[in-house]
Amino acid sequence: MLSILIWLPIFAAAVIGFWPGTISSISTRLASLTVAGLVIMWNLFILLKFDISNPGMQLQEYLPWNETLGLSYKLGVDGLSVLMLLLNSFLTWIAIYSSSKQTERPRLFYSLVLLVSGGVAGAFLTENLLLFFLFYELELIPFYLLISIWGGEKRAYAGIKFLLYTAVSGALILAAFFGMVWFTGSTNFNYDALPTQTLSTTLQIILLFGIVLGFGIKIPLVPFHTWLPDAYVEASAPIAILLGGVLAKLGAYGLLRFGMGMFPQAWSILAPSLATWGAISAIYGAVTAIAQKDIKRMVAYSSIGHMGYILLAAAASTPLAIVGAVSQMFSHGIILAILFHLIGVVETKVGTRELDKLNGLMSPVRGLPLTSALLVLGGMASAGIPGMIGFVSEFIVFQGSFSAFPIPTLLCVVASGLTAVYFVILLNRTCFGRLDNKLAYYPKVLWSEKIPALILAAVIFFLGVQPTWLVRWCEPTATGMVAAIPLLE
Amino acid sequence: MSSLPLTLPAPTQCPMPNAHYPCFVMTATILAPSTQLPPSSHEFAPVIHRLEAGGAMLPDTPENLMQIIGIYKAYAVPMDFYWRDLLYIAERVFLNPFPFFKYFLPKEYLDLHNHYAGDDADLRIWRGEATAHPELLAFMEKGETFKMPKLLHHLWHDRINMEFAEACMRAMLWHRGMGGNFDPYLDTDEYKANADRAIKAYFKGNPVMLGLYQMFPEMFIEQVRQLSYYSNLGLFWEVMAPVFFEMSDRYDAGDIKSVPEAMNFLVNAIFAMAGRPIYHHVHIRGEVYEIIPKSCGFMWLYEAALPYVEAVFYRTAPFRGTKSYNAQAKQVPDNQKDFHYGILYADVFPVGTAGIPPTLLMQDMLHFLPKYLVDYYHQHCRGEDDMLIQLGISFQRSMYVVTSAVIQALRTALLYPLDDPNPRHLQANRAFFETQIDRFKRPEARLRDVQSQNYR
Repeated sequence: MLSILIWLPIFAAAVIGFWPGTISSISTRLASLTVAGLVIMWNLFILLKFDISNPGMQLQEYLPWNETLGLSYKLGVDGLSVLMLLLNSFLTWIAIYSSSKQTERPRLFYSLVLLVSGGVAGAFLTENLLLFFLFYELELIPFYLLISIWGGEKRAYAGIKFLLYTAVSGALILAAFFGMVWFTGSTNFNYDALPTQTLSTTLQIILLFGIVLGFGIKIPLVPFHTWLPDAYVEASAPIAILLGGVLAKLGAYGLLRFGMGMFPQAWSILAPSLATWGAISAIYGAVTAIAQKDIKRMVAYSSIGHMGYILLAAAASTPLAIVGAVSQMFSHGIILAILFHLIGVVETKVGTRELDKLNGLMSPVRGLPLTSALLVLGGMASAGIPGMIGFVSEFIVFQGSFSAFPIPTLLCVVASGLTAVYFVILLNRTCFGRLDNKLAYYPKVLWSEKIPALILAAVIFFLGVQPTWLVRWCEPTATGMVAAIPLLE
Repeated sequence: MSSLPLTLPAPTQCPMPNAHYPCFVMTATILAPSTQLPPSSHEFAPVIHRLEAGGAMLPDTPENLMQIIGIYKAYAVPMDFYWRDLLYIAERVFLNPFPFFKYFLPKEYLDLHNHYAGDDADLRIWRGEATAHPELLAFMEKGETFKMPKLLHHLWHDRINMEFAEACMRAMLWHRGMGGNFDPYLDTDEYKANADRAIKAYFKGNPVMLGLYQMFPEMFIEQVRQLSYYSNLGLFWEVMAPVFFEMSDRYDAGDIKSVPEAMNFLVNAIFAMAGRPIYHHVHIRGEVYEIIPKSCGFMWLYEAALPYVEAVFYRTAPFRGTKSYNAQAKQVPDNQKDFHYGILYADVFPVGTAGIPPTLLMQDMLHFLPKYLVDYYHQHCRGEDDMLIQLGISFQRSMYVVTSAVIQALRTALLYPLDDPNPRHLQANRAFFETQIDRFKRPEARLRDVQSQNYR
């Protein structure tokens, strides 16, 4: 059942990529959209089958693969991954829909996007370290190509930087995984076959350090973040959606699954440092975003800040904080997707992302009024305005973390306030003011360009006023994970 | 080569078959550029040279001509409502303290004969009917939605936006002292006595209002002054509506082929109408009270047309729109005569935002655009979606032609013919043109923009 989430998009990617005849760009896009839509439907079906009260892995699948290597095809889903799977399939559909109909080399583009989708699903679903690593690395080359071929002016630089950073991240993670197997004396890489808690505290800390660094690059956390602004800015809007909405979540997921889940004792020791690190990331991201002149770069830095909240919540390790971390991963993905999509629309229509050049886009006839309105909405959601999904997740993160780490939490609250500052700057300069007469001959925004943002806006509102639908999936899992962590002193 | 007329053209026979009434005939005069003067060094030298050659500030292109004529026609239909309602308010609604239905024009005023159209015209400018325009009547019945009670059309704003006309009237009232004799007359004892008689007659049997009048006489007199401006503007537009209709018909018939010809039609119309009396009469219980009698001798050109152009085209007021003006930071001139917020300076792009009166007019004109103009707008920018802005810019172009006509008319009245053989006279003409065009040196002025066809 779960395998379909992995292999349907990968199979579709292969078919689209290697189909012998010629396929028109529109047909390719339509086929990719259909496949992505089917994956969403299947995800919803899995949600229906998912037992919310069960904190452990569910709907498991197992196939022995290479017993000598300790590699097995073992899949499962729990409260930590079920929302991430939905986010992955949903944002893949949004990314495909928001891609230009005139995309060059459409077959390669859409195959790579579907390949990424299948790979990410595999990473979220697997219960085997080696298999996780294979899926984790599977994204590397497709994302590199997606940035380098369809990116902006400095795409080659951004692509290489992304490749180098994530390769180092992969190496660190692989080293930690091998360490976990070797030092525990396990014969396979299955999560449940690794008695990591039997290791000495020092060894646990060393291995956890590798995990944190490896996934910290992927999230990314300051100071390993420098690949992110370049990659996000240079990538086209659909790819930025996937990078920020999906790939970064893989890093956060890895941190929770392998860091907190497998080294609870070491985690509790490192937690104060991690909480401080999260707060620094949040403040740094927000302050740096304020200084940006490129709205896409501003949102990219905002992403760094918001990922800091997840680290804080993970470090706090209270059931509420873990629920907050998972909610924040989901809401951040949705909010980032709407922002990147809208910035893509603005760039396409206006021809610039420069704050100093943009003005008056709210102008009702010649501007981009609906795009601007949705941009305001995205900014409000990101700033944690009540009634929207961002408020729900941030509130839970802060509420869950304050008892454990009050000062880092307060710093993150300040960072949340700074989010409002840079979004006010962004929106004030971009959407408000007088539309420049000499520039105001923008093409109109088509409905096909509005629809992804409208769908995302609906999700932002719906989960903002009905947060139970967001948080209930991971509550038992969060409680179960936290139970394994020794109490912080 | 003949010069522009210095005297009012005499009524002549209309070239229409079976026509036996006085009819206004256009006399187009376009000159070659003067070679007796060195080129102007003015920032807008090409515009100056064009004016000296008998042209307009707007370049002479078929596209410009098509836009301005189409807009004149679209403007004339709501204008036919504006002038009727302005006169209705000035003459009948008068000081009604609750004028809820002042925009509900009674049949009597829809049937009111325009003095410059129809068979019984004093001077027939337009060959159409003297009563309300058929397109206007059709729109008033159904609006852009469907047939429903008048009140619902009103509340839904599916109607002619009289608020625009009132904004223009208030601009004229607010920018008092722009020359002429009409405005100073409003402060005379004679005017106050006339107003007093009308006020007392209007509120006869109403002790509350009469008591209030006793307590605050100036407030009531000021209201009457405003109503006098209602009448002033109504009488002004009564003339302009048939002028624009006629221009549209002549363009359709192929009789107007260039922008200078269109402008000259306006110049000639201005002179033909110059002497039309401006007055303010009030009808109270079957009796007419002459607040400003015709015998005062106020003439259309000097007491209505010129103040209107100055107040509405140039000055108006720093309306609150998408641009905020900070008066304390000197963003608003100290002196009202330096205001520059009229249509010749207006930023038409933020259409639909609050407080920009042309938006209301643009909405009105949208309903009456000729098909060729609709097709034209569909081909540019966002087509249907930003037609309001496109027609707003066409309106701006057309008002530059009207202003050109006024400048040429003033030059005709005050200075010398364009083909005057005396270089000193030509130099005086040039100095006059340059002084007029200096007002468009401001960065906000759209004269630069309308020189380009790509300004849409």
